[in-house]
Amino acid sequence: MNRVALKTLFIKEIRRFAKVWMQTVLSPLVTTSLYFLVFGVALGSRLKEISGVPYIQFVVPGLVMMTMVRDSFLNTSSSLFQSKINGTITDLLVAPIGASEILLSYVGAAMCRAVITGALVLVVALFFTWFPLHNVGWTIFFTIFVPATFALLGIVSALWAEKFDHLAIFPNFVLLPLAFLGGVFYSIDLLPEPWNAISRLNPLLYMVNGLRFGFLGVADVSPVASAVVVLISFMVLLSVAGIMLQRGYKLRT
Amino acid sequence: MKPSVLRCNHVTKRYGDFTALEDLSLEVYEGEIFALLGPNGAGKSTLIHCITGVSKQSEGTIEVLGFDTLRDFRTTRRLVGLVPQEINYDPFFTPMESLMINMGLMGVEPDRERAEDLLRTFALEDKRDAYTRTLSGGMKRRLLIAKALVHQPRLLFLDEPTAGVDVELRRELWQEVEDLRAGGTTIVLTTHYIEEAERLADRIGVIHNGELLLVEGRESLLERHDGRSLEDIFVELIRRADGRHAA
Repeated sequence: MNRVALKTLFIKEIRRFAKVWMQTVLSPLVTTSLYFLVFGVALGSRLKEISGVPYIQFVVPGLVMMTMVRDSFLNTSSSLFQSKINGTITDLLVAPIGASEILLSYVGAAMCRAVITGALVLVVALFFTWFPLHNVGWTIFFTIFVPATFALLGIVSALWAEKFDHLAIFPNFVLLPLAFLGGVFYSIDLLPEPWNAISRLNPLLYMVNGLRFGFLGVADVSPVASAVVVLISFMVLLSVAGIMLQRGYKLRT
Repeated sequence: MKPSVLRCNHVTKRYGDFTALEDLSLEVYEGEIFALLGPNGAGKSTLIHCITGVSKQSEGTIEVLGFDTLRDFRTTRRLVGLVPQEINYDPFFTPMESLMINMGLMGVEPDRERAEDLLRTFALEDKRDAYTRTLSGGMKRRLLIAKALVHQPRLLFLDEPTAGVDVELRRELWQEVEDLRAGGTTIVLTTHYIEEAERLADRIGVIHNGELLLVEGRESLLERHDGRSLEDIFVELIRRADGRHAA
């Protein structure tokens, strides 16, 4: 393991998103504040309670998770894809580093961005409502493994993508619908069959509910089931991203 | 004869049905400037990419100072520097930051003094904190060379370093190449400017359609073809090879 390269690449990735903090940190905050205003304050005043907690409190963990998922994905995918487009990927290809250094540094930096923006969303949430911390262990588990999983997915997408359109497929056509249908704004107990059963096939549902259980102690699915889904997703994507980097998929022609 | 720094043994590179390099064997010796000449698409960049790690050969082996480039890639990549043909830069970082990052990537602890030295050598000290995107084409190309030298490589590859640059900058780059060789760096240069090879190279290789047609010392090559220019020799070699293929 080239530790100097690992540290350098990690710091470089942190500095990359820090240099454009308005886009990477501030912009998600504005979006999330609007969600709080619309779904939490405007609709929440009519919906009152879901699963025994006030509606505005109910949406907080989902919005935090949505932000972390999006930011961790965007951090790795945009950085790696831009390197491919502007040619600086050559710097990585000729460096004495393997797949492990690239994975650790890119995923580590993406997790940092996700945790920072997730924490800032919580700070914004405090302006609208208070919320408890029911179980620290589950909260930390989902805060670590879900962003790591989506950072890996970002790497896979960037390696596969050949144009910006390809890169936009996942966030726009997969992530956003799954997030909205994954119980961020409602409990799936409110859905009739077959929509309730179909919703249980959505991995985002388990991720959102995992964090919701950590914060509020309520969830549509058990935290163990959520953890199993997250760990399986993480392991599959770790293997796929590792093999792609090892083989130089669409990198080393 | 000086010791061998680079040894390519029967290297073949295929892209599907297309063969970019065909059973190519080559040695480059310590301290020399080796110029690889060839028309566009001859296989010059492909060979460099296989040696430096940008690409992988389909068959054959490549050794740098006795280390295999695939098996011992962490060692060989520390020994090699690459100045790519296309200008590339990270728009997020300044020249100083780019050099520090490249040092770290090559496994060298980032050293601000070394970065300052390189910026001075390549006349970029005034632009050390400017965004790289604001540099002129010539400055960007000099920064690429500086980036390739951060880890003091024993073997430096310059892939068409003067393609598309003006006469003045070309002469500056030639001087820099000569200075590097004087400092002990072995240099492999690809070019299709015959004048460049004539001025800089100790030995010349001619590659065409992925095959190495000739490897010879510049002086003996010119002596052997008494009075004829390197350009004439090159053109004749390429024509003869094309005729052979056509037949």
